[in-house]
Amino acid sequence: MRSTRTALVAIIAGVALSTAATFSQSPATSRTRTYVETLASERFAGREAGSAGERLAGDYLAAQLTRLGAKPLPGRDSLFLPFDFTAGSRDGGSRIMVGSSTFNAPQDILSLSFSDDTEVNGSAVFAGYGIVVPESQNFGYDSYATLDVKDRVVVVLRYFPEDADQQTRAILARYSDLRYKAMAARQRGAKALLVVTGPRSPNAGQTVPISFDTALSGSGIAAASITGRVADALFAGSKPLKEVQQQFDSGNPHVAGFPLPNITVALKTSLVREKQTGRNVVGYLPATGASPTAAKPWVAVGAHYDHLGLGRNGNSLAGKDDAGKPHLGADDNASGSAAVMAIAEAVAKQPTRRRNLLVAFWSAEEMGLVGSSAFITAPPLPLNQIAAYLNFDMVGRMRDNKLAVQATGTSPGWATLLERANVAAGFDLTLQPDPYQPTDVQTFNGASVPSLNFTTGAHADYHKPSDTADKIDYDDLDRIASLATGVVNRLMDQNDPPQFAKVEQSSQTVGRTGVRVFTGTVPDYTSNAKGLLLSGVIGGGPAEQAGLQKGDIIIEIAGQSITNIYDYTYALDLLKIGQAVKVVYMRGNDRRETMLTPAARN
Amino acid sequence: MPHLLRRPIAALVLTALALLGALAYVVEPGALAQGAYQERDFLSRIRRLTVEGRRAGEGYWSKDGTKLVFQSEREPGNPFYQIYLMDLSSGDVTRVSPGMGKTTCSFINPVTGDIEFASTHHDPTSKTQQEEELKFRASGQERRYSWDYDPEMEIYVRNAKTGAYKRMTNARGYDAEGSYSPDGRWIVFSSNREAYSRQLSAAEKKQLETDPSYFAEIYIMRADGDGSDAKRLTHVVGYDGGPFFSPDGKRIIWRRFNETGVIADVHTMNLDGTDDRQLTDFKAMSWAPYIHPSGQYVIFASNKLGFDNFELFEVDIDGKKEPVRVTYSDGFDGLPVPSPDGTQLAWTSSRGGGREGQIYLAQWNHQKALEALAAAGPRKP
Repeated sequence: MRSTRTALVAIIAGVALSTAATFSQSPATSRTRTYVETLASERFAGREAGSAGERLAGDYLAAQLTRLGAKPLPGRDSLFLPFDFTAGSRDGGSRIMVGSSTFNAPQDILSLSFSDDTEVNGSAVFAGYGIVVPESQNFGYDSYATLDVKDRVVVVLRYFPEDADQQTRAILARYSDLRYKAMAARQRGAKALLVVTGPRSPNAGQTVPISFDTALSGSGIAAASITGRVADALFAGSKPLKEVQQQFDSGNPHVAGFPLPNITVALKTSLVREKQTGRNVVGYLPATGASPTAAKPWVAVGAHYDHLGLGRNGNSLAGKDDAGKPHLGADDNASGSAAVMAIAEAVAKQPTRRRNLLVAFWSAEEMGLVGSSAFITAPPLPLNQIAAYLNFDMVGRMRDNKLAVQATGTSPGWATLLERANVAAGFDLTLQPDPYQPTDVQTFNGASVPSLNFTTGAHADYHKPSDTADKIDYDDLDRIASLATGVVNRLMDQNDPPQFAKVEQSSQTVGRTGVRVFTGTVPDYTSNAKGLLLSGVIGGGPAEQAGLQKGDIIIEIAGQSITNIYDYTYALDLLKIGQAVKVVYMRGNDRRETMLTPAARN
Repeated sequence: MPHLLRRPIAALVLTALALLGALAYVVEPGALAQGAYQERDFLSRIRRLTVEGRRAGEGYWSKDGTKLVFQSEREPGNPFYQIYLMDLSSGDVTRVSPGMGKTTCSFINPVTGDIEFASTHHDPTSKTQQEEELKFRASGQERRYSWDYDPEMEIYVRNAKTGAYKRMTNARGYDAEGSYSPDGRWIVFSSNREAYSRQLSAAEKKQLETDPSYFAEIYIMRADGDGSDAKRLTHVVGYDGGPFFSPDGKRIIWRRFNETGVIADVHTMNLDGTDDRQLTDFKAMSWAPYIHPSGQYVIFASNKLGFDNFELFEVDIDGKKEPVRVTYSDGFDGLPVPSPDGTQLAWTSSRGGGREGQIYLAQWNHQKALEALAAAGPRKP
């Protein structure tokens, strides 16, 4: 599973929570164990997209597919579908001249990960926090309302007003993502965007680390972050930035930016994007008989097989002791890959098939669903011929017989199919309609294909080197493959393919800024409980210090009621480091309160 | 609280809320603390059985344990329960009721495989009622679910061989909550027909308007007859309903509400209505009892721990012991029905989230159930 900000907040690297390893009682007969153990072996070194380990793993999967009788897709002669992507970025020598002073990367300036490579000159305009709330929100806040920034270099503060009331912060936080700020500046004709972390904000005066971004090109504007030293030079003819920031921090929309007097800026941005090639491994089991006999003649199953390699790309949650070790990714997502292979194996043995079964192993999922997106962008077969897509991501750590099935909102037919297939399989199913999940199911939903994602949820070893094959629950993984085979068989047989239904994306999940605070909570992502169910707390973290524990359900924090994980991450935006807030939670039937003091996230 | 009831609890909720203040609702200290036993001691491999549709409940097993009949709202156009039969090996689900109107409380004849259920499909206003309910929902309004004890509710039997429906009751009034005897020859059910067949006092008329279930009593009739032989077994004011036969067919278990409609307790009696024994005394709503096939104990639901928090309990067949709590989950747990071999339990629960219930299935630990009862103290007065 691709880590989201949500996940990162939640499952901070550090103390490993105890998770009892479960061992299969019948290793010899498991349909999935060999696949997991092979994919999660040291030989594949964590299967980072574009790495030698990923190539070896892809070769292994292709060999297994061939063994099962799968063929390359029509018109292809290979099971490999390669795609290019950006594996990482570093500053390639950005620099800025303010008047006569020159500042260089990486000490004083860093390109933002989505910057164009370019050189610009111009006068500079300070635009406060650089936030524009769309008019549709009925909340007048436009940092550019009184400014002409055409052909200028725009200087803005990072984050959002520090002292505004919670409601204002809640709205502004949504539009304070740096990409969003850059877009706002570009739309107003600015030549460049300079971001400074204000003296009154966390990480004061520091540049913004180049985040991981898989885009192959820039976003149409020069964009860089600068240190407080550079800002001091820019504000040499104005009031000190600290005083200026204080005026903006109230959140008052009438505080206006201003041109920086007597300042000309010469800016060069340079970003080196490391281009690499990843490989999706995709084949199919053809329908029996002369041709498929049903409408929409394809059913697809898939899982990503890439993982984090040595964890150098920012998604790792490894603690200090584990840093740099291979992230073997047994659950994430050798387990899903094994389930897909087991399904293909079962379907291959059946005497008749009314539809083709497309079997896909995606790469570069961990870098942002890149492999599946490449498939959808340049589809090797018409996507409207795919009746349905089933995705498997982290299905090896079952607890209490609970299996979450996500994206059920993509078709009204899913509940019927799942109910019938599950009668024999016997899982305690949790249905989650939302298809906007951090895994490849999102890609297929975006292509209007009725889709499902199966998962047993996150755990303490998520995105750590300790996600190893000995901790996988193979009996239940086999059962999941059986359930899914039942669903696949029903999809293959039924005359009418499932109808697609569009699920609106919750606005709360759009355009969020990076979360700055650390609460030390580990949410249970598979829960439908009303509130935020904790599957654990990080040892020594703020949540533990506040007396919270596994099983508690947070229903209110800092006056914000919490009904789901979105509410929670959203509420985190409003917390201030070091400032205690009231948390209301349920422990069993007891409603309790405590005070929690958020810490800084590093 | 989802009401997926063998006798959905009518306006009772409102009555109850009104009475709450007066009723010194004492939760025992320590009652919320985990006792010596936990849910996993009795129930393992818990799983949600019904997935489709808005709600489902009241699952009853076929004699061989391969099928489950239940009620569910799952078809567009009808916002009321219909009756469905699930094949527990293939997963196939088929509707057994006509699809029109309201239905509830199904049961499979252990000998013939016929299925009895209560239905209003003969009511010419059924279609209009469905449309009105859907319109009401579409308006975004919400009401606390209430069961209206529709006087059109009559018991039907669907013939296993021909699929034909036979109407078993013809009396004006609510006739429902039926179940078969182990030999398939008898149906025991609940009816408030008495309120429609005699002259009511002014106070009684008012009572019928606010809570028609007040007049419900237990009746028994032949399964192969036409209902004309129906014989009344209970004569105590307050709602008597939800009757089932004991595994040996010699007694009937049911639950009786007191006059307030808030307190209910589990009783057993002989087939002729004699030897009434009260098994529970929580001073709460204890209902939906079902006897384990061993005949040794009863599983039932009670809101002893909180008005909206129904949990399953078990009590010995003579009601001499203090009941033992079985479930420990938020929301509604009720309508327990053990499988015929006694190794599984089907029940209705809202533990999956939301207010509406679905049917859950788990392995039932019979030995643990006996052990816990053996260790339980005598019933508290």
